[in-house]
Amino acid sequence: MNDPLFEIEHLALAYPGRRGQPMAPILKDVSFTVERGRALTLVGPSGSGKSSLLRCLNRLEEPTAGTVRFEGRDIRDLDPRRLRRGAALVMQTPVVFEGTVRDNLRLRPPDVDGDLSEARLGQALADVGLEGELLDRDAATLSGGEKQRVTIARALLGDPRALLLDEPTSALDPPNAALVVETVSRLREARGLSIVAVTHQPELVRRLGGMLLYLVKGEMQAYERVGDLDVRLQAFLAGERAAGVADAS
Amino acid sequence: MSAGVVDLTLWQLALALLLVAAVAIVSIRQALGLERDLLLGSIRTIVQLYGVGLILAAVFAAARWYWVVLILIVMTGVATHAAVSRLPKPIPGAYRIAAVSLFVSTGVTLAYVIGVVVQVRPWYEPQYIIPIAGMILGSSMTSAALAGDRLQGELRVRAAEVETRLALGFSGREAVQPLVRSALRAAMIPVVNGMMTVGLVQLPGMMTGQILAGSSPLLAIRYQIVVVFMQAAATALASLFFVRLIAGRYLTPVHQLRRYLR
Repeated sequence: MNDPLFEIEHLALAYPGRRGQPMAPILKDVSFTVERGRALTLVGPSGSGKSSLLRCLNRLEEPTAGTVRFEGRDIRDLDPRRLRRGAALVMQTPVVFEGTVRDNLRLRPPDVDGDLSEARLGQALADVGLEGELLDRDAATLSGGEKQRVTIARALLGDPRALLLDEPTSALDPPNAALVVETVSRLREARGLSIVAVTHQPELVRRLGGMLLYLVKGEMQAYERVGDLDVRLQAFLAGERAAGVADAS
Repeated sequence: MSAGVVDLTLWQLALALLLVAAVAIVSIRQALGLERDLLLGSIRTIVQLYGVGLILAAVFAAARWYWVVLILIVMTGVATHAAVSRLPKPIPGAYRIAAVSLFVSTGVTLAYVIGVVVQVRPWYEPQYIIPIAGMILGSSMTSAALAGDRLQGELRVRAAEVETRLALGFSGREAVQPLVRSALRAAMIPVVNGMMTVGLVQLPGMMTGQILAGSSPLLAIRYQIVVVFMQAAATALASLFFVRLIAGRYLTPVHQLRRYLR
């Protein structure tokens, strides 16, 4: 199982301060590895840099120090456009573009070709638990959960090796969140996808398995196997669950 | 040709000032609180226009190309400052971007109108080049400001959309293209709409001026047609350069959106 997809070493990120102000540190000395076909979940209080960390992996953010290797290569040596197709990011708030679901699924850079046949689009929808009839629907009329799953399907159509999920369930009600959790964990198993997910959903952490990284104020507080989390992390996740229930009610 | 022009004496100008006095009375009666600004505005109108008039009279009399070029540079400088100060969010390099956009759009349009369309000889004949340059710069400045304002608004509201495209492997330029398009449309629509009603609602300023100065309306409209077309060209060029260069400021060479600028 020693086949790392992502290797992150001493990663640091800081935003330039406003005029005359010092840099604002977001991430400090973060190191971890994501094995091919395995999952890593990023948890921690809000503002701890989880989303920024995710965005460093596909280079939407430029780390101020440290290295990120994807499939053994420093991502600074890769064309960011290729990297992003290999490690597809799904955002917290799903963005669907004007047009039908089909238009959204077919959206890709002009210089990229690949199979976008009806059969493949239908399969991509099926993979995320949606019906094929949805292809002709105006994407703007989808529910939040459907939109999120369409954006996951759109990411899958680029044949990524990794899915980067930024709180994929936080904008959803519990039934839809459960569907997305189900979809994502099934995809990891069926496609051998690596998954890096920022989440507050204990259910998603448990279902994905693999490793868990606990981040507070940009610093790693824990990096452990999900199977044997210590008391503190279990308490944190339990707190998140309670908060989730409170939000939903 | 000046046979038909009624000379305006200072006494007559003073009579025109009574119109502003009427406005002041309305302002006082309705408690609008505009009297101070009205007074200041009237003084500035008189001082600024007299100042410009004196400078123009001197430049017209001298008819030297370097005086004309100097005036054009000053005008471009003022227009640059105005375009930049109307950006909702300051960004590094905005002055250079605005100066380049206005210089290119005005330079190209002006050279074509003076050199090819009207065929003014010598090219620096102040009576032609200064008012024409002023109109072109005015259009360039307004459209650049409109386009910049719109682009920054779009970037603020639609950042997630841009980053979604980037995450799908689009280049930075491709990812912001829909926003650029919307900013360009916002800048150009007023000009295109203006072309639809020109002359029907009100006579354009330049045409009015020419007619008042004794030109035949038929000559005046020919000039006005040139003016409308050149303003359309200047608008398109200025907003295109400005928006493209501003959008470029928001992107890194490795196709990232600079979030801290939002």
